[in-house]
Amino acid sequence: MPISKRPPEAYAADQAAIDTQLAVRDMARSFGETRALDSATLTLRRGEIHALAGENGSGKSTLIKILSGVIRPDGGEFMFQGSRARFASPYAAQHAGISTVYQETLITPEMSVRDNIFFGTDGLIRHQRSKSQEISGAHLALDQLGLPGLDIDRPMWTLSLAERQLVTVARAIVRPWQVLILDEGTSALDAHRRDRLFAYLRDASSEGKSVLFTSHRMDEVFDLAQRITVLRNGTTVATVDVAESSYSDVLQHMSGREQAAALMEETNGGSGEVRSAPSALAQRPARSGEPVLRVSDVTLRASSQPMSIELKRGEILGIAGLEGQGQVELVEALCGLSRPRGGRVIVVDDAGRDHEISSYRDANRRGVRYVPRDRRQEGLFASQSVFDNFAIASWGELNRFGILKRGAARKRYQEYAEYTRLVGSPNQPVSTLSGGNQQKVLLGRWTSMHPTVLVLNDPLRGVDANTKEELYQFFRSLAAEGMALVFLSTEIGELLVLTDRIAVIHEGSMQALLPTAEATNGKIVAAMFGQNPEEES
Amino acid sequence: MSELAVLPNDFVSSQRAALRRLSDRHAYASVPVGLCVVLFVVNLLVQPAFAGRADWATASGVLVPYLFIGMAFTLPVLQGGFDLSIGTLAGFMTIFVSTVLLPSGITAPELVIPLVVAFGLLSGTINGFFIVYVRLPPIIATLGMYLFYEGLGTAVLPEQGGTIPGWLVRLSQSYGPIPGQWFVVAGFAIVWLALSRTALFRNILVVGGDERAAYTAGVNVKAVRLSSYALTGAIACIAGLMLAALIQSGDGTIGAQYTISGITAVALGGISLHGGKGGLFGGALGGAVLFLIAQLLTDANVSIYAVQIVDGIILIVALSLNGTLDYLRRRLLRKSLAQSAVSAAVEEGQSGIRTTV
Repeated sequence: MPISKRPPEAYAADQAAIDTQLAVRDMARSFGETRALDSATLTLRRGEIHALAGENGSGKSTLIKILSGVIRPDGGEFMFQGSRARFASPYAAQHAGISTVYQETLITPEMSVRDNIFFGTDGLIRHQRSKSQEISGAHLALDQLGLPGLDIDRPMWTLSLAERQLVTVARAIVRPWQVLILDEGTSALDAHRRDRLFAYLRDASSEGKSVLFTSHRMDEVFDLAQRITVLRNGTTVATVDVAESSYSDVLQHMSGREQAAALMEETNGGSGEVRSAPSALAQRPARSGEPVLRVSDVTLRASSQPMSIELKRGEILGIAGLEGQGQVELVEALCGLSRPRGGRVIVVDDAGRDHEISSYRDANRRGVRYVPRDRRQEGLFASQSVFDNFAIASWGELNRFGILKRGAARKRYQEYAEYTRLVGSPNQPVSTLSGGNQQKVLLGRWTSMHPTVLVLNDPLRGVDANTKEELYQFFRSLAAEGMALVFLSTEIGELLVLTDRIAVIHEGSMQALLPTAEATNGKIVAAMFGQNPEEES
Repeated sequence: MSELAVLPNDFVSSQRAALRRLSDRHAYASVPVGLCVVLFVVNLLVQPAFAGRADWATASGVLVPYLFIGMAFTLPVLQGGFDLSIGTLAGFMTIFVSTVLLPSGITAPELVIPLVVAFGLLSGTINGFFIVYVRLPPIIATLGMYLFYEGLGTAVLPEQGGTIPGWLVRLSQSYGPIPGQWFVVAGFAIVWLALSRTALFRNILVVGGDERAAYTAGVNVKAVRLSSYALTGAIACIAGLMLAALIQSGDGTIGAQYTISGITAVALGGISLHGGKGGLFGGALGGAVLFLIAQLLTDANVSIYAVQIVDGIILIVALSLNGTLDYLRRRLLRKSLAQSAVSAAVEEGQSGIRTTV
C-alpha cells in the first residue's frame, strides 16, 4: 500500500500535515559503488509506534543514520515537524528532537554511567545541565527503564551487556525528544526488561511522541508497532497497519517472492553451462557422503538452545541469519577459533574416528580451514605479492629440510590461477588486485591445502557479479571432489543457488535447518525473524 | 527494608564505598604517586638535606618545566592523539622571549605572558588543523612542527644567548619559603581545575575513549580535538617560559631533550596511550618522577648518563606494575559487584514491591 495517498481536500491535507511528525520521500544514499538506499519513503505520525522491517542490507540502518544526522542523504525529501530538515550532525538531530539508540552499544567503558548518559549534551565548554540535574535526570531515566538503584558513578565496563544497552537507551531519552529511534535497541534485553521498555515507549507515545524501531523479532514488531514500513533493497515496498496484516504478509513484502524467484531462475540458468576445467566440474551430483563434521549439542549463548548438525562429504551447508544472531560464533566454533559455551564440534577422519576440535591449530591439522570475512584485516598480507599470499600456508608442506620448493608451489599456483581465471602477475602486491581477485587468492591459499572442510565467512561480499559466478562454479567443483563446505552468507539468493542445506540462526539458536530443495526465500526470512518456516508457505 | 533484612544497611553502604574506591577515576595515578613517595624517601636517605635544602629554589627551577612538559604531553594523548612538537616549541619560547620580545622592548609580564600563551594557542591550532581537517596522522603533523621549531630556533639564535626580563629572573628566587615558579604552577592548577570542571574535559575523555560513541551522542569531535591541541600548545609555551627562567637566556637546542622526557612522563604517569583515561595530574606526576630520579642520581654523584639507564628501567617496571595493579583492581571490583548483585537480589526479593512495579 503506497503511503502517499493523501485526500485531495485541503482540510484533510492540513490535518495530515499536523498529524505527521516526520516524513521521508525517495531518500537515497550510496557508499561508493553500493547503493545502500535507493528510494526510501516513510511517514511517522504523532503518537505512533512504527516499525521498520527488512532483511540484512535492505537499508534500515542507513535510513536511521540519515534521520539521526550521522550521515547525509544523496537525494530525497526529509520533512520534520512540518519543515524541511537536513541534519549536519547527530547533535543537530538531537537538538531538533530526534533521539537514537544505535544497533551497536556505543559506550566509553572507562567512564561512569552518568557520563555515558550525558556526554554529547554539552557545548564544547559549557555544561548544559548542572551536576545535580544530571544526577536526578539519570536516576529518573534509569527508573523508567527498570534499572532503579543502579550506581551512576560506576564505570561502564562493570555493567552487564543488558545494562549497557539500557544506558544507551537512557542516553536517548534524557534528551528532550519528539521522535525516538531504536535500531535493534532490545537485542540484549531479557523478556522482563524488554516489557518494561515497551511499557515506557507506549506511555510516551500516548503523550504524542513517536517511536521508530527495528527488531529481529517479528513478535516484538507486531506486539509494539501500529504500522510497519518494509524496505527491500533500499526501497520502501509497503507500509501496512498491524491490525490488518499478518506475519506472512510482512515477510512476503520483505523477501519479495516474485523477485527472488526471478533471481534464482537467472542464476541457475547462468550456471547451467559447465565450462571445461581440470577436474570434473559437473552439475551438482547427488551427494551421499560419509559424515565429516559433527556439531553436537552446541550452545552458542547462555540463553540459546543446543543445536546439532551433521555435515557430509561433498555437501555445501549454508548459514543464514540476521546480523549478530550467532552465525559468526557458529562458524568460529566450527574452525576452533572460539569454543562454544556447550556441546562439541567433532571432525571425523578418514578411518571414521571422532576428534573433538579444541583449537584453531587443531582444526587446521584435522583439515578444517577457515576463510575469514574481512580479507584485509584477517586474511591478506597487503604489501606482499600475490604468489606469497597464495603460498604462505603451503610452506609447511612444500619444503625439503626447511628449504622451500618454490617450483612445486609455482606449479600449484599456476594451475589454480588458470582454473579460477585469476588475472595479473603473481609478483604484484596483492593489494593492487580487485576485490574479487583478492578473494580468489585467499580462497586459493586454503583450497590448495586440500581441506576436508572449508568454512567460508561471507566470502563473496564486495565481489563483482562475474567473479561471483566463477566462484560459485569453483565451490561446486570443490564439493564435487568431496570437500565439505560451510558457507555463511548474508544474501539469501546466494544460499539458495549454491547450498544443499541451509541452517538459519536466530538469537543464538538454530531456528531451522532446511534442505535447499524445499527452501524458499520466504521460509528463510520467516526463520530469520524467529518464525516457524513451515507455517510460511 | 523490612526487619527481616539479612544484610544490615551499613554493610550495604560499606560495600558501596568499596566499589567507589575501586572504580575511582583517579586510580590510574596510584603507581606514579607511590613512585614519587618512594623516590622522595630515597632522596632523603641519600641526601638528608634534601627536604630542607637551601637551594630549593634552584631545584624547583628544574622540576617545574618537567611538570608542565609532562602535562602538555598528556593532554593530546587523553583525546586519542599525540603531539611531538611540545619540546621544541617550549625550547623556541626561550628564544622568543629573550631574542625577539626583549629587544623589541616587550618585557612586562602582562604583555609577555599573553603573547606567549597566544603563540602556543596558535601553534597548537595549526597542529590541530592539519590533524583534524587535513587528516594527517598526529605523529607526522607534529613531527613537522617539531622540526620547524628546532630549525627556526637555531636560525634565529645559533648559540645560547640573550637575556630574559627581570621578572622572569626573579621567578627563580624565593618569596618567603616559596620559590617563584610555584606561583605559576598554582596559577595554572587553578585555571586547569576550573577547566576540568567544564564540559571540555569530559568531551576530551569521550573522544579519546570512543570517537563513534562521542560523535553519535552529539559531541563535536572536531572542535574538541582542535581545542585540545590548541591548549596543548599553550601549556608547552608556559613550559618554555619556565625553561627560560631556568637557563636565564635563550637556547634553541634545549627543547629536543624534553621530547623523550615528556613521552616518558606520560607513560610513568599511568596515562594509557590509547586515550580516554587519566588526567593532566598523571603527566605532572610522571614529570616529578623523572626529576626525582635525576636529583637522586646527581646527589649520589652518579654519571649523568646513568640517569637515562635508570629512567628506562623505572619506566618498564612502572608500566608493568601499573598493568598488574589495574588487573587486580578490576578483578576485585568484579568480585564485589557479584556480591552486591546477590545482596541486591535479596533486598529486591524481600521488598516484593519493586519487582512488580
